[in-house]
Amino acid sequence: MVEGIIGFAAVLALVLLRVPIAFAMGFVGMVGYMFETSFRGAISMVARLIIDTSQDYGLSVVPLFILMGLFVNKGGISRELYAASNAFLGHFKGGLAMATIVACGGFAAISGSSLATAATMSKVAMPEMRRYGYDDRLSTASIAAGGTLGILIPPSVILVIYGLLTETSIGKLFIAGIVPGFLGILFYLFAVRYSVMRRPEAGPAGPRSGWSERFAALRGVWAVLLLFFLVIGGLYGALDFWPLNLAFSPTEAAGMGAMGAFLIALARRRLSLRDTIDVLVETSMTTASLFAVLIGAWVFSNFVNYAGLPEALRGRSKAISFIPGWS
Amino acid sequence: MKTARTLPALAVWLARSLPVALASGALLLLMLLTFTDVMLRSTINAPIQFAADLTRLLMAIVVFSAMPLLSYQGNQISVDLLDGIFARLRIRRLVEITVALFCGVMLVWPALRVFDLAKRSQSYGDRMEYLKLPVHYVEWFIAAMTLVTALALLWRAVMLIVAPHHLEGRHG
Repeated sequence: MVEGIIGFAAVLALVLLRVPIAFAMGFVGMVGYMFETSFRGAISMVARLIIDTSQDYGLSVVPLFILMGLFVNKGGISRELYAASNAFLGHFKGGLAMATIVACGGFAAISGSSLATAATMSKVAMPEMRRYGYDDRLSTASIAAGGTLGILIPPSVILVIYGLLTETSIGKLFIAGIVPGFLGILFYLFAVRYSVMRRPEAGPAGPRSGWSERFAALRGVWAVLLLFFLVIGGLYGALDFWPLNLAFSPTEAAGMGAMGAFLIALARRRLSLRDTIDVLVETSMTTASLFAVLIGAWVFSNFVNYAGLPEALRGRSKAISFIPGWS
Repeated sequence: MKTARTLPALAVWLARSLPVALASGALLLLMLLTFTDVMLRSTINAPIQFAADLTRLLMAIVVFSAMPLLSYQGNQISVDLLDGIFARLRIRRLVEITVALFCGVMLVWPALRVFDLAKRSQSYGDRMEYLKLPVHYVEWFIAAMTLVTALALLWRAVMLIVAPHHLEGRHG
């Protein structure tokens, strides 16, 4: 068990010294495993994981979901989401910040990454909030908070990786993210209201949009909604009826999502050949970096398991009864 | 992308673009394959038999084609919490050089071992279940690209020493 704890400390130290996370975990896992078994055994274990991880069928869900998010982004859908939520919320005090939160939630429903959500929405929402004289503290906070919805609301790349590492159902993990995601939106909206109540000058109200404008703005986002229902509905077998007969595995859901996003972006004439190549290259690079981390994590977890850390921890926590009479 | 004028420049340009093009192509194919498979299955009940095999092959191509350039550019996911301190101590470049050397060297042994495993698969003559492609083709590819990744990391260390401006603005 001591070896396992030393291993964790070593990984943290290496990571702080700017060693890439994949290599820090891989190195410590490899050396630790070497001490537990043999040099040859450790090197073989790493080599086997390098070969097997990259050919894992289940993991192909990762690049496809990333691809979907990037295509949607290129299709200019983030701008339309913002315009739509703005049409409904913009006339409230702090309305633009609230619209940012809601648009983040919408973007999270097609993108699996918090970083992508925050980065996209800051490009779209920040200039608008500046134009209406919003306090930078309120605008940046609402983008940062809204960004966290990216990994919570399905699809979520992080939940996919967590599910694959711990052998938890990805479908169940996605469902589990929906309610907290909506609660997140709700409470972030309250938080915006609360801060403009205290300092009304931080978030002045914008002009009110008429109902015809609102419906016009909604027309821009129906494709996104459709894509979300196709992907998530197919994943849960909600579309498995004649004549659709659509029931997807996570990988297929991601593939359909990516293709759908690609087609939407094409149909809107927002996707040049150059953009398509950029999206493909960026997705490949992101995928490779995530797979490196996955391989490193698996190497490290093999060592930690071999060193018996999980067992020891389980034994410890069983031995301590935190509440008298309850163990 | 600059126009390559001399032969070495052309070689560098090819070394950069070819793997990236391969990764992008494989990714595009992966998307089309998944879509077609689902469509064929749900409409005329005729899924593509070898879809799973091909998916795994394409995944390996995407991941390992991108890996060398990703590593060379220093874009592996890392934590930059202490960058400010390193900069103040004026050891930032030193840290980066050491890290690149460290990663490159540690990767050499597993990479060589992947070659051994590929050789072993070749002697067994294993083939993919539906695609019937010999398994060792993919494993040779992975072995070669892992070794190239190790060399790319070492090359990064060298470039950081002799021509750091080549890599500036590339670390993320």
